Amino acid sequence: MAVKTSQFYKKVWLKLKRSALMDVTKFLVVVAVIMWVLARGTQQLGYNWQWYQVPKYIFQFQDGQFSFGPLMFGLAMTFRITAWGLVLSMTIGLVTALLRLSDSFFARIVARGYVELIRNTPLLVQIFFLYFVLAPIFGLSRFFAGVLALSLFEGAYASEIFRAGIVSIHKGQWEASHSLGLNTFDTYRCIILPQAIRRILPPLTSQAISLIKDSALVSTIAVYDLTMEGRAVIAETFLTFEIWFTVAFMYLMITIILSIVVNFLENRFRIQT
Amino acid sequence: MQEKKLGDYIVTVEKINKTFPNGVCALREFSTRIRRREVVVIIGPSGSGKSTFLRCLNGLEEIDSGSIVIDGIPLDENKKNRWEIRKEVGMVFQSFNLFPHKTVLANITLAPRLVRKKSNDEAAEMAMDLLRKVNIPEKAESYPSQLSGGQQQRVAIARALAMHPKVMMFDEATSALDPEMIGEVLDVMKNLAEEGMTMIVVTHEMGFAREVSDRVVFMEDGYIVEEGTAEHFFTNPQKERTKLFLSQIL
Ligand SMILES: Nc1ncnc2c1ncn2[C@@H]1O[C@H](COP(=O)(O)OP(=O)(O)OP(=O)(O)O)[C@@H](O)[C@H]1O
Ligand SMILES: [Mg+2]
Repeated sequence: MAVKTSQFYKKVWLKLKRSALMDVTKFLVVVAVIMWVLARGTQQLGYNWQWYQVPKYIFQFQDGQFSFGPLMFGLAMTFRITAWGLVLSMTIGLVTALLRLSDSFFARIVARGYVELIRNTPLLVQIFFLYFVLAPIFGLSRFFAGVLALSLFEGAYASEIFRAGIVSIHKGQWEASHSLGLNTFDTYRCIILPQAIRRILPPLTSQAISLIKDSALVSTIAVYDLTMEGRAVIAETFLTFEIWFTVAFMYLMITIILSIVVNFLENRFRIQT
Repeated sequence: MQEKKLGDYIVTVEKINKTFPNGVCALREFSTRIRRREVVVIIGPSGSGKSTFLRCLNGLEEIDSGSIVIDGIPLDENKKNRWEIRKEVGMVFQSFNLFPHKTVLANITLAPRLVRKKSNDEAAEMAMDLLRKVNIPEKAESYPSQLSGGQQQRVAIARALAMHPKVMMFDEATSALDPEMIGEVLDVMKNLAEEGMTMIVVTHEMGFAREVSDRVVFMEDGYIVEEGTAEHFFTNPQKERTKLFLSQIL
């Protein structure tokens, strides 16, 4: 009997150890320790924590009316920028990779030139160039100029990831597909990309997270994203620490949502064994 | 071997040359003609150009000069002709090259659906017939990684047959297999030959050559050294080089 119960506890413990609950607990403990260290540090600075001030910049509840605060608008904007940026940069990345692998010399040169140009200049300069030089010429909005700059930048890196994933697929897969009479388009669509995507997903996820973080740079052309709104609130209230913590936490939320989506995709593309 | 009536020439290869970018000359003025229902076995030492010859026949490699005509279609600059030829020529590789992310059934039905525009049901029905033919109908829903080498190669054969090719090419189809699995793949190939399939087979299985082939071609350094029936090779090969090679593999 005693042996049985101890086995039971052991089982429960093992299950707990492997469960998500354990990860969350560990995470909370780490956060708590960091918080404590910070609290001690800022105490010595004489910083006056005013967390109670923060919620109203996230949402307000006045006269029975619910409304979002500036930080939420910033979050929504960052979310929009990231969503558009992801779709655009992945498309640009895939197309560029395919061009670089194509038979056409011209296509390869163009794709190569684009990648080299983007990778060897700072993102900030690209954003300014697009916003101050190209946007007036083509009548681009602030938002779109920002998204486009970001997508072109991340797309160049994504294209390298796509390319590496595609060339990592064994040559025999191409030959088998071609010898069955499938054309290049169908071979990419049905044979190469579905296999490459599993190898591509992890590095592509890092790239997507970079995109989320780099999106903060569009605040330099006065797009009211999360960073811009955060700065505005701080300028008004001097709640430097509280607001930056909140903003950082919100960015974290976006990346967590992204990881959940990627997790789902990874399960979908898993190869059976 | 029972008497079999060979048809007209389905493959005509005239003086083809192939030099790789690195300067290796794999085929020199290579010519041969193959009749319908004929089974040709190609033997030769490593690097003699056997694989290159097969790969040129379905346009996986481009020839530098010469001409290839298969079932009346010239393999030339015209891209359409090349796709047409690939539909008519099936190829089985040493390393199987099955699509690992697709089930056995999906491996077989893919090309008929996309290239021959067959309906899903029609393609699946035909695939099951082919799987019965290669004796593994129960593996339809398995993935390639769940199969033994011999089973994988039989699926690869079924996959190629699903396009109803007029010519089947085998590039050392049994070389990557454990000895106990070679027989099951050779049996499938023998059945195919008996049904009258035109086959070009690169192999070192001289038993297969003797039993099934109508002609054996011995090549070296990109050209044909000697050709004749399997019997001819076993009883009185003419060239010294041929004798030496045969003494090594037999
Ligand atoms: N893609 C390639 N690039 C450069 N050289 C090649 C290429 N493919 C084959 N070769 C060379 O061409 C020659 C013929 O090769 P091939 O593969 O046709 O020989 P093989 O008779 O099939 O030999 P094996 O019995 O080893 O398969 C070899 O010298 C080989 O090194
Ligand atoms: Mg070979």
